[in-house]
Amino acid sequence: MVINTIFNSFHLIGPEIAVALLLLAVVIFDLAFPKNKKFLPWLTITGIIVAGFLTVKQYSLESGFVFESGNTQGLIVIDNFAFFFKLLILGVSLLIILFSVSSEELKNCYDRAGEYYTLITGMILGMFFMVSTVDLITLYISIELVSFSSYVLAGFIKKSKRSSEAGLKYIIYGAVASGIMLFGISLVFGYTGTTNFYQINHIVVHSLSPDFLLSLAFILIFVGFGYKISAVPFHFWTPDVYEGAPTTITAYLSVASKAAGFALLIRFVKIIFFTGIDENGYWILSKAFNWSYLLIIISVLTMTVGNFAALWQNNVKRMLAYSSIAHAGYMLAALTMLSEQGLLAIVVYFVVYGLTNLGAFYIVLLIHNKTGSEEIDDYDGLGYQMPLMGVAMTILLVSLTGLPPTAGFIGKLYVFISILDAPHYTLAVIVALNSVVSLYYYVRIIKHLYLNNPKVEREFTFPVTQTILVLVLTIPVIILGLYFGPLLEMGKVSLRMFGF
Amino acid sequence: MENNIITSVLLFVPLVGAMLVLLFPQKNAPLIRFWGLFVSLVTFVVSMVIYTGFDPSVSGFQFVHKIAWIPSLNITYYLGIDGLSILLILLTTFITPLSLISSWKSTGHKVKEFTFFMLLLEVGMLGVFLSLDIFLFYIFWEAMLIPMYFIIGIWGGKRRIYASVKFFIFTMAGSLVMLVAMIWLAVYASEQLGSFTTNLLDLYKVGPNVPHNIQSWMFLAFTLSFAIKVPLFPLHTWLPDAHVEAPTAGSVILAGVLLKMGTYGLIRFCLPLFPQSSIQFAPYISVLAIIGIIYGALVAMVQSDMKKLVAYSSVAHLGFVVLGIFAFTEEAMQGAIIQMVNHGLSTGALFLLVGVIYERTHTREIADYGGIAKIVPVYATALMFTSLSSIGLPGLNGFIGEFLILLGTFKSSVLGNWWFAVFATSGVIFAAVYLLWMYQRVCFGKVTHDKLNKLEDLNTRELVTLLPIFVFIVWIGIYPSTFLRLSEVFSNSLINYIMKI
Amino acid sequence: MIPVEYYLVLSAFMFTTGVIGVLIRRNAIVLFMSIELMLNSANLTFVTFASFLGDSAGQVFIFFVMTVAAAEAAVGLAIMIALFRNKQTLNADEVNVLKW
Repeated sequence: MVINTIFNSFHLIGPEIAVALLLLAVVIFDLAFPKNKKFLPWLTITGIIVAGFLTVKQYSLESGFVFESGNTQGLIVIDNFAFFFKLLILGVSLLIILFSVSSEELKNCYDRAGEYYTLITGMILGMFFMVSTVDLITLYISIELVSFSSYVLAGFIKKSKRSSEAGLKYIIYGAVASGIMLFGISLVFGYTGTTNFYQINHIVVHSLSPDFLLSLAFILIFVGFGYKISAVPFHFWTPDVYEGAPTTITAYLSVASKAAGFALLIRFVKIIFFTGIDENGYWILSKAFNWSYLLIIISVLTMTVGNFAALWQNNVKRMLAYSSIAHAGYMLAALTMLSEQGLLAIVVYFVVYGLTNLGAFYIVLLIHNKTGSEEIDDYDGLGYQMPLMGVAMTILLVSLTGLPPTAGFIGKLYVFISILDAPHYTLAVIVALNSVVSLYYYVRIIKHLYLNNPKVEREFTFPVTQTILVLVLTIPVIILGLYFGPLLEMGKVSLRMFGF
Repeated sequence: MENNIITSVLLFVPLVGAMLVLLFPQKNAPLIRFWGLFVSLVTFVVSMVIYTGFDPSVSGFQFVHKIAWIPSLNITYYLGIDGLSILLILLTTFITPLSLISSWKSTGHKVKEFTFFMLLLEVGMLGVFLSLDIFLFYIFWEAMLIPMYFIIGIWGGKRRIYASVKFFIFTMAGSLVMLVAMIWLAVYASEQLGSFTTNLLDLYKVGPNVPHNIQSWMFLAFTLSFAIKVPLFPLHTWLPDAHVEAPTAGSVILAGVLLKMGTYGLIRFCLPLFPQSSIQFAPYISVLAIIGIIYGALVAMVQSDMKKLVAYSSVAHLGFVVLGIFAFTEEAMQGAIIQMVNHGLSTGALFLLVGVIYERTHTREIADYGGIAKIVPVYATALMFTSLSSIGLPGLNGFIGEFLILLGTFKSSVLGNWWFAVFATSGVIFAAVYLLWMYQRVCFGKVTHDKLNKLEDLNTRELVTLLPIFVFIVWIGIYPSTFLRLSEVFSNSLINYIMKI
Repeated sequence: MIPVEYYLVLSAFMFTTGVIGVLIRRNAIVLFMSIELMLNSANLTFVTFASFLGDSAGQVFIFFVMTVAAAEAAVGLAIMIALFRNKQTLNADEVNVLKW
């Protein structure tokens, strides 16, 4: 019976149900107790922890389709790959909510705190489906769910011109990208007569040469992914939105929604085109579409444009926006190899990059709280005025550059290993040279922090909670740089996707 | 092989010392200075313990300390010492306390940070010389850039920011290319040996089997990184900037130890990992080395800034070292190793002396001095002595190294042409010209500026920093075998190994 | 019966019109109309294929797309109002606090 199957598979989407209930709870709480908005973040955190608990509980489960009955295939899957990204998203969300509590920027919109946390919860729900979907319908809906929440969040500070402008730009680019993707999806549906990845795979496997219509459709769909992971040339929204949006949301977009986008892209490529895997861990993909070429071009463009554009930026948030574009380029470079090693590199890179980037944005936020500025010139001498933040920022920037002994180096190392295993020398050298370029602008921030003399003599103190949060993000960056064995083991386990 | 913890002790004493510096109160500058000095002296004592236990007749690594680190990638924490590294480790632990003493007065502000970075730098340098795992090596190699960046950038001269960023980017560009090559090699090892490995001794077995054309690229990638550090002409342009802008202690460390990491890398990695390519490229690199020798000397001649003059003389001296390395004879290799030490001592002392006088007058322009021999006789004597050592006067250290290198180059079958030696010899003459000319303009003649009459001579602290160096300058000059015997077995076995292939 | 190609050509035409509209028009409202055109062209393709292939999944998809389009318009207009209050313009070229 269909109904029975549905009931039986409820426990499989426990985390998603928990997040959806959390969303309702936040809305109801906000309506019922309009005076007690300061409890909202803690309510959200509790919900996230519950969802995390339910997710961890799923780990021991066999991979299985949800809502499977008879010959109808399901819409989402539960596997280690999704498990990893779900935990990553929950962790990032938890940190972002803690960031939000200490953000001065958001205090101006205190009366709308309920909406803020509701929308963040909505994003979590969307990303949960993004990382586990195996159907074009869920793919589209989940991307849109994440996007709508983030459009509003980017323009959340209504009174700020920057923020509402960021919101508008974001929604225009986002809507165009998703429109293009939708058209691509409709073509794929027309070609294959199904929306399920695995069934599409059955059809695509048999094509022996690139097919024009199908290639066009996949390129159109890739636009949607490219926009979500801010790959060049679909990156135009990134700097504007990252600069204009509240810093907490910038950090969230740069890590969580990028991670979800990558997870979706990887699953899409791997499941739909998979025909086999050779003994060295390289995927043998269907000849229907040559992903390798497309990804190499996009990845080289992404990292180069990101790094070179970052050189000229004077706003630290904008600079970090371009740097996050460049990082997406490095990760795409690993994906280009279409191998298990490449996948491992991406997984490791995301943990490292997530920690580091969140930390960097958090310190930018704290500095903005105190000085009201994100301009690099206003960072002069801050390293002496806020010693701990200065040191933490230096460590994080060194890690973003990818220098030892920080976690960033491990991420880069894995990208290099996966590229050189192929071996693809040119790409490796391009990645290396790009890192040198990135060194220049990261070091520029350090230069302003320490080598330039402060314009005004002042001292800053930070509450203990904020200091602890900074340490929580910085110390693992050093530890993972020196001891990354566990990270590796976890990464290897997370590679397993349903059906493989 | 039994694990010997003392190498790790050597590495961790300055590291722990540096961490503890952070706990000291910022205001108590003398305490912090004494602590820094104390830590570096303890490190020196540890290195002396290693020296006394070192057996020069054994080929291969001693005091090995090996712990599994990242088992899944076969990365190990692997330290060890052989005839090549022992000298450089002693040099490092010897120079660091001296440069700390030398900066007693000159780094007036932010003493805590300064001491912290100096000790961290020592950790990095020791780590580079001790590591027998390329992953570990790379961590130290890169991590060392950060303290050096800050030392130049915070305590440096007027154009310090430009110099520090240039230094950082030059070195980083080279090392990332090396990283690519290292990983490629480790991946290649996984095909050859069955597992991914970063263990240098295992890679020694793999390297020579790399197909020829790829080996050339690998060799060039490694060499690029090391050549930037040496610095080999034409990659030397960061050096004068960095030297001129760095504070005295920074210059001393930079000249004394940091540059040696480049030549050390060439000997430790390039030669044994890629012997065929090394021999193939030896003539080209030797030509660059000789251009460096002559170019460095000529440019040094026309410098008006004393520090810049010494900086360019470094380019020339290290040209000799590189020439010695790529001559592939035992004498030249021995000479190159001892010349690395010599250059550390002589150039270090020269930078100290320039720093001493700069502290008093705040100028390094040669034209601002004249006739100071009468006013500060002790200083003038010290400067003379150091210059002579740098020139390579027989009886002092420089002579031994240069003589061995020239002899080896002359006999070299790989280079096969005595013109290399002839051109290199001209560098020795040039060195005499620019140093003595500088000396003459600064110390002899009439006192040109009234201010100079008030110049104070060397004080006790400065003498304390210089005298130990002078002792070794004479020691190496008169009885070099104390030092040569340490590296003898190493040089023999390395050259034999390469020539056999 | 009208051949399936006719529908597809029409939808391709609508899609192209939408894309061109996005590229050349500067008023935010018109941009949104163009985007709607793109979504509807995809809808037309879905219906065509659904009826052509006899598979209802395409029809189902359309309902989702329509919902999404409605939500998109709602969110978009809300953001536009917020921006208009700050800037008194909806011309994309004049929205330039953040450099493009």
